[in-house]
Amino acid sequence: MGISRDSTHKRRATGGKKKSWRKKRKYELGRQGAMTKLSSNKTVRRIRVRGGNSKFRALRLDTGNFSWGSEAVTRKSRILDVVYNASNNELVRTQTLVKNAIIQVDAAPFRTWYSQHYGVEIGKKKKVVKKDTEETEAAEETKKSKHVEAKIAKRQQGQKLDSHLEDQFASGRLLACISSRPGQCGRSDGYVHAEDLLLDYSSHETQSYISCGIIFYPSVNEDV
Amino acid sequence: MAEQTEKSFLKQPKVFLSSKASARGKAPGKAGTRFWKNVGLGFKTPREAIEGTYIDKKCPFTGDVSIRGRILTGTVNCTKMTRTITIRRDYLHFVRKYQRYEKRHSNLAAHVSPAFRVKEGDKVIVGQCRPLSKTVRFNVLKVIPMGASDGGNKKVFTAV
Repeated sequence: MGISRDSTHKRRATGGKKKSWRKKRKYELGRQGAMTKLSSNKTVRRIRVRGGNSKFRALRLDTGNFSWGSEAVTRKSRILDVVYNASNNELVRTQTLVKNAIIQVDAAPFRTWYSQHYGVEIGKKKKVVKKDTEETEAAEETKKSKHVEAKIAKRQQGQKLDSHLEDQFASGRLLACISSRPGQCGRSDGYVHAEDLLLDYSSHETQSYISCGIIFYPSVNEDV
Repeated sequence: MAEQTEKSFLKQPKVFLSSKASARGKAPGKAGTRFWKNVGLGFKTPREAIEGTYIDKKCPFTGDVSIRGRILTGTVNCTKMTRTITIRRDYLHFVRKYQRYEKRHSNLAAHVSPAFRVKEGDKVIVGQCRPLSKTVRFNVLKVIPMGASDGGNKKVFTAV
């Protein structure tokens, strides 16, 4: 392919040039990167690699399995938008999915889980809740058994939702980080950015060119 | 957040920052807990590593490297690189024809954790780890400052 991962082309530590003394070997090969794009026609190719094993090169993806760590829930949800990439702004512009890219993920699966687990609807505005609560409560009480109600009541003790997360749920989009390598395993899985420190930081530094306004450091100067 | 100096969010991979049960911990004064480990071989992990807030994945105490293989010692030659130093190891080579010794030296690049303060001329003990960069295969485990002994000139030959 032309891409090789050898070190024989590099200079020595002293700065001296190394003369090449052999051809490129197959075990040093590298392949073109899979610039996995965010798209709804999911395309994953299987590649035969050294030893006969396979890698799954994802070319286009739009869903992933995302974990909400503090609640220990993992749900498959749609990826909506690539928001920030620490290495390259180009990857944000072209909506490329790579490991450690910050993305926006559909909040619906987590919201339904939360309401089932804790009996609380997150992300709904308070006015609406007041109107609907009487109706929905009546409806729900008839549906749930005492056992379920008892479980929900017990879980209420530990229930606490960070305000940043609530805002995100309200808009229907959660910030998440990809922690798998889509070009290697064919999946873009990750974790919901529920880390308090991180969220504090990101909402603090809100001057950025990205529309969702999340950036970690103020010193990002490069243009789009 | 003084330790967040890079464009991606720096964190210790084994520490889960938003765990609800993070109230307990080593009480560094904030909500986060810190991952640190004992590198073994009798080396004490510095207090700065346990109590500090820096994130360094190549630190032997708070990062993802293990120390195995050789343990060497040398004097610090150059500290101009970020988080790495060059160590000079002097030794004597015997020339059989003349039945005498000659001085030789070799340089070593070693990664130095932010837990240590290293100056040129300090003596340093380094342990072998996996390759951390093109030339760095060692990690500083212990610093013996120059003022500890009679504080010699850097050029003075010290056979290690």
